[in-house]
Amino acid sequence: MTYQAKGLQAWFFQRVSGVFIALYILYFLWVFFTTELFTYQLWLTWFSHPLMNAATGLFFIQLVVHAWVGMRDVVLDYMPNNTIRFFSLIVISFILIASSLEILRILFSLSLNA
Amino acid sequence: MYSLDKRMNKRPKNLNLLSVKFPMSAIMSAGHRAAGILLFLSIPYFIYIFQLSIINETGFIQAKAELQSPLVKVFCLITIWALVHHFLAGIRYFLLDVDIGIEKKWAQKTAFLVMVSGFVIFLVILFFYI
Repeated sequence: MTYQAKGLQAWFFQRVSGVFIALYILYFLWVFFTTELFTYQLWLTWFSHPLMNAATGLFFIQLVVHAWVGMRDVVLDYMPNNTIRFFSLIVISFILIASSLEILRILFSLSLNA
Repeated sequence: MYSLDKRMNKRPKNLNLLSVKFPMSAIMSAGHRAAGILLFLSIPYFIYIFQLSIINETGFIQAKAELQSPLVKVFCLITIWALVHHFLAGIRYFLLDVDIGIEKKWAQKTAFLVMVSGFVIFLVILFFYI
């Protein structure tokens, strides 16, 4: 990527992750609202299925990429002070990394028990 | 990488927002950003709810009960509006990327459509959720 087209990569990631997130949410809502009554057993079985487990993990990674590009844009646009900008980006990245580690830990524990 | 060019500080600034005319697309775009920030902030809470609901049967019932409490309901409703608006505005940006609705007149109309349908879907969900 040349310097002039630096934003293109972020733009591209934002689109790809956006599509995946949208499809996952539509699938989730479809199953959620077409199931008569969600019992704990059903809920657990659904997320323990290898495909759903992997898709949820992938969804979350895409969500983190999407959120990072978006929040970075917001910070770069509205925070002209370099120090505030730097610390905001650090806080945002820490929240996103911690969130993804937590969700992956939960998902892995489900797949191990299944 | 993120440092500002010194020259950029000399650019004129217009901070009086009342002196700027906001077309519908600008309002929708601001909503898209605000919704995005809100959704980002809601991530940790929804991880917490998901973990609670999947860890065992007691947690599942607890999570269900928590989602029924008034404060959480208000929070969820705001988040649902944010998601719907962000989703629809995102589809609009995709269409703009492939030059659909790129003309000034249509861009304003689709922006209005996103705002209204986001609000209508929100009201429908409000009706069923409360």
